[in-house]
Amino acid sequence: MTSDINKSFYDFISNGMPGPEQQTDVNNAILPARKAAFSRFRSLGLPTLKTEEWRYTNIQRYLKDAFTLAEEEQSTVTAEQLKGASIPKLDSYTAVLVNGRLQPALSQLPADGKITISKISDAAGNAQLQAWFDKHPHLQKQPFAALNAAFFADGLFIEAGVNASLDKPLHIIHVYTAAANAFIQPHHLVVLHKSATLEIIETAVGLNEAAIAFVNSVTEVVLEENAELWHYNVQSTIKNSRHIYHTSALQKADSRYHHFNFTLPAAELTRNNLSVALTGSNTETNLHGLFLATEQQHVDNHTFVDHQVAHCNSNELYKGVLLDNAKGVFTGKIMVHQDAQKTNAFQQNNNLLMSEKANINSQPQLEIYADDVKCSHGFTVGRFSEEALFYLRSRGIGEEAAKTLMVNAFAFDITDQVHIPALQEFLSDKIRRYVTGAINN
Amino acid sequence: MLTIKNLHAEVDGKKILKGLNLEIKAGEMHAIMGPNGAGKSSLASVLAGRENYTVTEGEVIFDGKNLLDMSPEDRAREGLFLAFQYPVEIPGVSNLNFLKTALNEIRTYHNLPAMEAKEFLKLTKEKQQMMDFNANLMNRSLNEGFSGGEKKRNEVFQMAMLDPKFAILDETDSGLDIDALRIVANGVNKLRGADKAFMVITHYQRLLDYIVPDFVHVLADGVIVKTGNKDLALELEEKGYDWLKEDVHQKESV
Amino acid sequence: MRNSNEIIDDIANKEYEFGFTTDIEMEMAPVGLNEDTIRYISAKKEEPEWLLQWRLKAFAAFQKMQWPSWQHFKMPELDLQKISYYAAPKKKSLKSLDEVDPEILATMEKLGIPLNEQKALTGVAVDVVFDSVSVATTFREKLAELGVIFCSFGEAVREHPELVKEYLGTVVPHSDNIFAALNAAVFSDGSFVYIPKGVRCPMELSTYFRINAENTGQFERTLIICDDNAYVSYLEGCTAPRRDENQLHAAVVELIALNHAEIKYSTVQNWYPGDKDGNGGIYNFVTKRGICKGNSSKISWTQVETGSAITWKYPSVILQGDDAEGEFYSVAVTRNKQIADTGTKIYHLGRNTRSRIISKGISAGTSDNTYRGLVQVGPRAANARNFTQCDSLLIGDRCGAHTFPYIESKNSTATVEHEATTSKIGEDQIFYLNQRGINTEQAVALIVNGYAKEVLNQLPMEFAVEAQKLLSITLEGSVG
Repeated sequence: MTSDINKSFYDFISNGMPGPEQQTDVNNAILPARKAAFSRFRSLGLPTLKTEEWRYTNIQRYLKDAFTLAEEEQSTVTAEQLKGASIPKLDSYTAVLVNGRLQPALSQLPADGKITISKISDAAGNAQLQAWFDKHPHLQKQPFAALNAAFFADGLFIEAGVNASLDKPLHIIHVYTAAANAFIQPHHLVVLHKSATLEIIETAVGLNEAAIAFVNSVTEVVLEENAELWHYNVQSTIKNSRHIYHTSALQKADSRYHHFNFTLPAAELTRNNLSVALTGSNTETNLHGLFLATEQQHVDNHTFVDHQVAHCNSNELYKGVLLDNAKGVFTGKIMVHQDAQKTNAFQQNNNLLMSEKANINSQPQLEIYADDVKCSHGFTVGRFSEEALFYLRSRGIGEEAAKTLMVNAFAFDITDQVHIPALQEFLSDKIRRYVTGAINN
Repeated sequence: MLTIKNLHAEVDGKKILKGLNLEIKAGEMHAIMGPNGAGKSSLASVLAGRENYTVTEGEVIFDGKNLLDMSPEDRAREGLFLAFQYPVEIPGVSNLNFLKTALNEIRTYHNLPAMEAKEFLKLTKEKQQMMDFNANLMNRSLNEGFSGGEKKRNEVFQMAMLDPKFAILDETDSGLDIDALRIVANGVNKLRGADKAFMVITHYQRLLDYIVPDFVHVLADGVIVKTGNKDLALELEEKGYDWLKEDVHQKESV
Repeated sequence: MRNSNEIIDDIANKEYEFGFTTDIEMEMAPVGLNEDTIRYISAKKEEPEWLLQWRLKAFAAFQKMQWPSWQHFKMPELDLQKISYYAAPKKKSLKSLDEVDPEILATMEKLGIPLNEQKALTGVAVDVVFDSVSVATTFREKLAELGVIFCSFGEAVREHPELVKEYLGTVVPHSDNIFAALNAAVFSDGSFVYIPKGVRCPMELSTYFRINAENTGQFERTLIICDDNAYVSYLEGCTAPRRDENQLHAAVVELIALNHAEIKYSTVQNWYPGDKDGNGGIYNFVTKRGICKGNSSKISWTQVETGSAITWKYPSVILQGDDAEGEFYSVAVTRNKQIADTGTKIYHLGRNTRSRIISKGISAGTSDNTYRGLVQVGPRAANARNFTQCDSLLIGDRCGAHTFPYIESKNSTATVEHEATTSKIGEDQIFYLNQRGINTEQAVALIVNGYAKEVLNQLPMEFAVEAQKLLSITLEGSVG
């Protein structure tokens, strides 16, 4: 490694992080996987701007600070501090994680024999964990996923048995906190067995404005036949946080995966690697994304829908609203393999630039090797219509209200798909606040 | 002109036609009616040679030739025309260019020279007027962005241009308002002649007020269960098809 | 009835029409690539010192460069030491068309490009580049009356050095990419066009490229300058003989449009694509770029790509002037084992700049067809607008169609729209046409030509007909 940034990060990895061998606190069963991941990371190396997948996100500038490994700090976290991540009026079970570690005392977990919710470290002997941990094909080429698998501290393990379902959503609250700059690496695994159904909402809160929390997380999702998962991820934390999220789902026949991603202020970096591998036929995949970025935020969404077999349907709609100096990236790839005849795959990315200095880079990609398919993608970027704004103002609506109205209208296609009223209201409220905040800046 | 004997056909392994017999002579107008799923449109598809239909038994003789042995284009060149229930849209291919190609292919088949551009345009104009077809649609892409009515009128206009011996109108009246229906029917009537025959497939008796059939056949469950004159259509309008189904069942149980 | 596999096999077996060779005496540079090769070429062309130095600088840059790795295909191994970089028919400089080798005239007739001005297409002036050198340019005197310069690159260096010196390498620098650097080092000839202020060039200017010799590459360079308020439409066609080894074509085209000038550049590329097993064929690695330097200027690229084993080209437009306009219309057809990785790059720098990209890919056989495009809106490009549509049509289930657009917008007043679809030729469409008496092969030709119409419409009349025929022949009998 040549550059200083690389060097300091590598120094950190080799000195600051305990090697895979030292991570025995989690469980020995995973040690071979950790070692394999570490050698994978070494051969992949850290991405640079020349790495195609990272050409619009200069990750090195976010790595140059000195980091330590996050210490466990559950003792200091109080119910009061969770407020920032709670959703008013939401009736749900909750799982509170501090730096990736489940806190049963702060959580309200369902008492359902068919559904296991535990720490990864407590699921050591679980066959599903052994079978799926770090196995998703799309994670194999991602350096930060390899880094995570090699050194992760802990994470959440969710297993829903055959036909299992909950009477209300499971709300996972991620708390990130550290006294000094910390590199936090949770790794979660969600397995839904045949015909199981689950609704998961994730929110996050950062507690220390004074230190940088760099969160490099991986969530693996496995949907067995006919399983259905509604997965909402609301990314809204404090400014001094940097996130690389990997969400990789594997869908077997007849399964349905509905993923919602909301990236809201104020983390300075958010990189989402969302990928879905369709390995069984007749599946349905809906990926909805809304990113609203203000100030100096950098939001990068990479999605990959991998149609490996015939008769699968995927639908992707991502919308971006960029204010102030925010930078957005959208790279969406649809891959249709030769055997994936009768695929329907659609992708759309629409962006609204609200300020002179905001910018967006987009790469909607189609890679198709089958002929009897319907695939399309679309991209637009534009500014909100001055004429519409004028029209609203001439009817007596103030500029701020008018802009909020228009952003909400733009985001409606996404928020409208949210089937939990409390969550929908929570999101609309946040959008309103951020747009108003940005206008008043 | 057309003799259908004991025709059995299936699509995706499902039996659709189950021993259909029909004789159509030059100069005649035959109406085919029947409940949904009876096999009316399938009959049209089988006659025109749509690939996913498999004929398992029976024969169709068209002017002394075995129709079922011919490719779809040769059936067309021999003078069989199908006005589609759902005419397809082909982006970028102009109506005019398409018709010229079709017409000249048919002429070549009959050892006639290709039509001169001038002559072709004259013919086009003449048929446009005859069929009351909007000239603006000629330069547009084939059926692309046409309204339902425009598409159906385009089918009848093409029929006039290609001058077939035997035409099948597959629910050409569906979805048309009464004015459009009248125009389409007038067009068809102008094309009638002693050397031509028609098969009109329809759901609705009202079309037969404008195109008066010599025979009305009721197709149910893959066979013709009843044949009459235009009064049969009126009777069907009034009573529906259920009484005929009972008829069939009774016959079957005998 | 024949099934679709038989018909697809037919296309695969369809022979390349222009695969014959011409037997004439050639003068060739020794095989290999080093500084001496460059000095040899420069000396053969009796070039001034500055040009030799420019070539050497390019060669130095070339030697430091790596083969690209981002493309969507496996880069073949190219042994640049095994080819000859200069091949010219043995003949002294020509005073008139009558002095052109009769074999070459016959070849051109056979290719449908008569050089005899009486027989020539009215309204088209032709420059013919045979292997490394320009062998004939028609209608020169007539054009000269208007001040239009249309000649071989070599002549331009001799007779208009000030223009060449001012513009050469300003749009595609000598170190732009490895193929452009190679070209800058070893280019042998090409066409040069200058349209003076206020002149609307009355005829289509056309260059016809023919690779004939064995073990050569073709490295031509085209430079077109359109001065204020001038207009030119330029056409380019190409063929090559059928050979079992691959031949390299690494051309560079530079276009410069000044204030209110317009350049329309059309290509019908039909290099030998190789046989059905992927043996032989031209590697077409071309750098084409235009700059709309002046305000309200316009550059429009239209390409019909049917040949070459590998096509790798991205005709680009830099919209520097305010209110400038760039267009890219492309039809790329691949079959057998052909690979096309093509598209465009549009750089919006000036205010109110507009661009339009229409790309139609058609893949058959086991070929791979990729659209790769960049639309970049700079911070100064207020009110820039782009519309991109790229459609793919697949014929058969063993080919690939890919779309890789890059969109970078740094100005909030810009509007960028991108649409892409993938489809196959519908069985219902074929049946409909069959039912009207049109056979399946013709039906496919009709549908494909309809599909590509938006692009074909952009070609000048004479070329449009040729291109349509080419498409029909190339895809004869294909069924989805």
